[in-house]
Amino acid sequence: MNRALLVLSAALALSGLSLGAEVRLPKYTREVLPNGVVVYLLPKPGVPLVNFRILVKGGAESDPAGLAGLSLTTAQLLRSGTPTRSAEQFSTQLDGLGGSFIANANEQYTFVGAEFLRKDLEAGLELTADALLHPSFPEAEVKKVLSRGIDGAKAAKDNPQAAIRQYFRAFFYGPAHPYGHPAQEASLTRITRDNIAEYAARAYVGRNTVVIVAGDFDPATAASAVRKAFSPLPAGTAWQWAANARPAPGGRLLLIDKPDATQTYFEIAMPGISRTDPDRTALRLINTLFGGRFTSMLNDALRVNSGLTYGANSVVELNRLPGAITISTYTRTETTEKAMDMALDILKTLNQKGITPEQLASAKAYVKGTYPTQALETPDQLATILGDMEIYGLNRGEVDDLFSQIDAVTADRANALIRKWFRPEDLTFVVLGNAAKIRDSVKKYAPSVKEVKVSEPGYGN
Amino acid sequence: MRVFFAFLLLSGVLAAQRNDVKSHTLPNGLKVLIQEDHNIPNVALYFFYTIGSRNERPGITGISHFFEHMMFNGAQKYGPKQFDNEMEKAGGNNNAYTSNDVTVYTDWFPNTALELMFDMEADRMRNLAFDPKIIESERGVVYSERRTSVDNNNTGILYEQLRAAAFTAHPYHWPVVGWPSDIEGWTMDDLRAHYKTGYAPNNCVMVVVGDVTEAQVLALSKKYLEPIPRQPPPPPVRTKEPEQQGERRVTVRKRAQLPIQLVGFHTPDAKNPDTIVLDVIDALLTSGQSSRLYSRLVDREQLALNVGARAEHSLDPGLFYFSINPRTGIDPARTEKALFGELDHLRTTDVPDAELRKAKNQLLTQHYKQLKTIAGRANLLGTYEVFEGDYQKLFTSDRDIEAVTPADVKRVAAKYFSETNRTVATLIPEAK
Repeated sequence: MNRALLVLSAALALSGLSLGAEVRLPKYTREVLPNGVVVYLLPKPGVPLVNFRILVKGGAESDPAGLAGLSLTTAQLLRSGTPTRSAEQFSTQLDGLGGSFIANANEQYTFVGAEFLRKDLEAGLELTADALLHPSFPEAEVKKVLSRGIDGAKAAKDNPQAAIRQYFRAFFYGPAHPYGHPAQEASLTRITRDNIAEYAARAYVGRNTVVIVAGDFDPATAASAVRKAFSPLPAGTAWQWAANARPAPGGRLLLIDKPDATQTYFEIAMPGISRTDPDRTALRLINTLFGGRFTSMLNDALRVNSGLTYGANSVVELNRLPGAITISTYTRTETTEKAMDMALDILKTLNQKGITPEQLASAKAYVKGTYPTQALETPDQLATILGDMEIYGLNRGEVDDLFSQIDAVTADRANALIRKWFRPEDLTFVVLGNAAKIRDSVKKYAPSVKEVKVSEPGYGN
Repeated sequence: MRVFFAFLLLSGVLAAQRNDVKSHTLPNGLKVLIQEDHNIPNVALYFFYTIGSRNERPGITGISHFFEHMMFNGAQKYGPKQFDNEMEKAGGNNNAYTSNDVTVYTDWFPNTALELMFDMEADRMRNLAFDPKIIESERGVVYSERRTSVDNNNTGILYEQLRAAAFTAHPYHWPVVGWPSDIEGWTMDDLRAHYKTGYAPNNCVMVVVGDVTEAQVLALSKKYLEPIPRQPPPPPVRTKEPEQQGERRVTVRKRAQLPIQLVGFHTPDAKNPDTIVLDVIDALLTSGQSSRLYSRLVDREQLALNVGARAEHSLDPGLFYFSINPRTGIDPARTEKALFGELDHLRTTDVPDAELRKAKNQLLTQHYKQLKTIAGRANLLGTYEVFEGDYQKLFTSDRDIEAVTPADVKRVAAKYFSETNRTVATLIPEAK
């Protein structure tokens, strides 16, 4: 039993350092191989582990219409066989080294995270590169992974906190947006081996790939090993990002009926910003005060002062395309309306009254003080920053200039941004609970209400 | 390739890590462990109080966990909300956790906040306030936590039932979060008594890892913590769980998409030498996709969505339990049978050397991963000190893992994974 759930989204790693001091990204090198693969090496001696983070541009944005989950399924199948290794051999060799290998996809890229002992750098890299360069997608393995994915989508419905996130994505972004299609039973049922092989051949190419090596290793050895392993990747065609897309309009409420729920989970969202928005540092400070830490306005009101919930927070999503600013919490069924009204009141108060210079100073100290443990401590954290720089076209100012950017945010600027972004109108609501008991009371929040049953396949889309 | 991937010996990797931990005991009994690390300008400060749900009794179950919450609700010098407000304003954040055995407070902050943290931690260790209004509000928070982690979480519900069935006498019978009627019922007197013995300096280990010096920590400890008086220790937990004499089964019927199965076996306490063998068995059976249970249940036979296990390290004899998520249309009787088949195999046939080597390598690298952060090291040092009786065992754990033989695996599997020692809990989805 924990005092607080660690719910902060990775998209907004609320971050901090010795007050007043600056932070700097450690030394690293960047090299582009002839086939377009971008290679970063960041040596950081310490615990003798070496971390590989490999990114392939595209992610959910590159899932074709009707095939939501294709990039994810392809990633999951990388370890399931190559011309020289069966799935079983891959696992036995990986586990034999005590290594780890995780493959997944998010809104904008596929990523593989692998970690090995320092002494196994070359063996680990060979194994990892084999999976990325030569996946053979055996039919039997494809069937297994897809059918597991379908059951996994069902099982997720038994976990309201996980399920509401998927409903939220589908509803907030809507069918016209590339983020509005979480993998689900129907789309996974349609995916074939040919789709997967074709996707891999198109996406897993030199011009789409970023390889980051961070941790305790010898740079010369790593550089030659990475060149050798990734040079054979065909250059291919670079993924073309879709034009800008906007979330579906607000003023809508989705009610998900889970008749056995004894509490209501709800999310209230407004349109937000992209990962590269120039106001992202200011919004991080504002969100720290609104719902990004324990003493935030939302948690203080809904948990500390009233005992309505175990936790209330807000998250500013930071993806390639503009995302959501989302309030999330839960409360017992009987106090649904009270908690929702309270969350909306906090938003209105923030919008009308803004924040004081003292509050802003506290948020600045918090973001700076927590930043090193959240972003600069381990090789995998540093690799994440390097990957973001490459994917989003950012530079090392992401770290090196962060504290000066924080210092530059004034209360006036923050309050202007609050009026612009934290607006209590045209909101999108997603509510999961016992519909028979809350249906009437949640109607008032939006002119358009849609209701679905949690037991139905899909996410109401 | 074969030679390339031979499973080489990893032993010695931990011993090569710096064992530069400084240990001190203050005159009031508070144990202090310090490890300097100047990688980032931050500090992890952990307080391990040896009090948890095992120190409770019917009527006040969950009070240790409730107390974990109350420790943030005001003391003498720093009133309600001030602990969090002052800490966040100084660039720090915190959390806390309660288990059957311990209550642990975890602070992470920039080195500039070190003295503030000592001042605030000492204030709440010595002079906690008990405001009846705040207690009532916090009851609502804890009840919400219970609704989230148990009542509306199928695995949470089933896990509570597994423990309640596996332990009939020992306090590990009840959930850490407490039974609902107890959450509603405990009184001010219960809270005061719990605080007095549980939160005494002689019942606490403090661990400091990060951008500090030993001299700094010792000076602050002397100033803020040394004056706090010793208290009588919590009463010993006398009840021992009687030996189980036959399989136990418990069923939960609930609306759900898929079934869940938990299977527990009684195992010894953390200090027992069999515990490390059970860790190796856990790795053999469930760590990685080449592990025996994953490759059979999830991959080859496709009976389950997931399979996991946990070898508890507890102060009193605990549980080793498996969790299985059967696939759609798979009768839990089949997943159960497959599990028992693998356990039989383990106790009748020697583990091949290469497979044992693999499991040991996995355990060692998993251990390493926890050493990457100051928070991970603070937690490991405190955990070893409290549960193994000596933090130094952290630095020899690789040798203990290395010493496990195929004969040990067979003997320990035979000793604990018997039919009479097991409890099977199954969640069966009800028709919608």
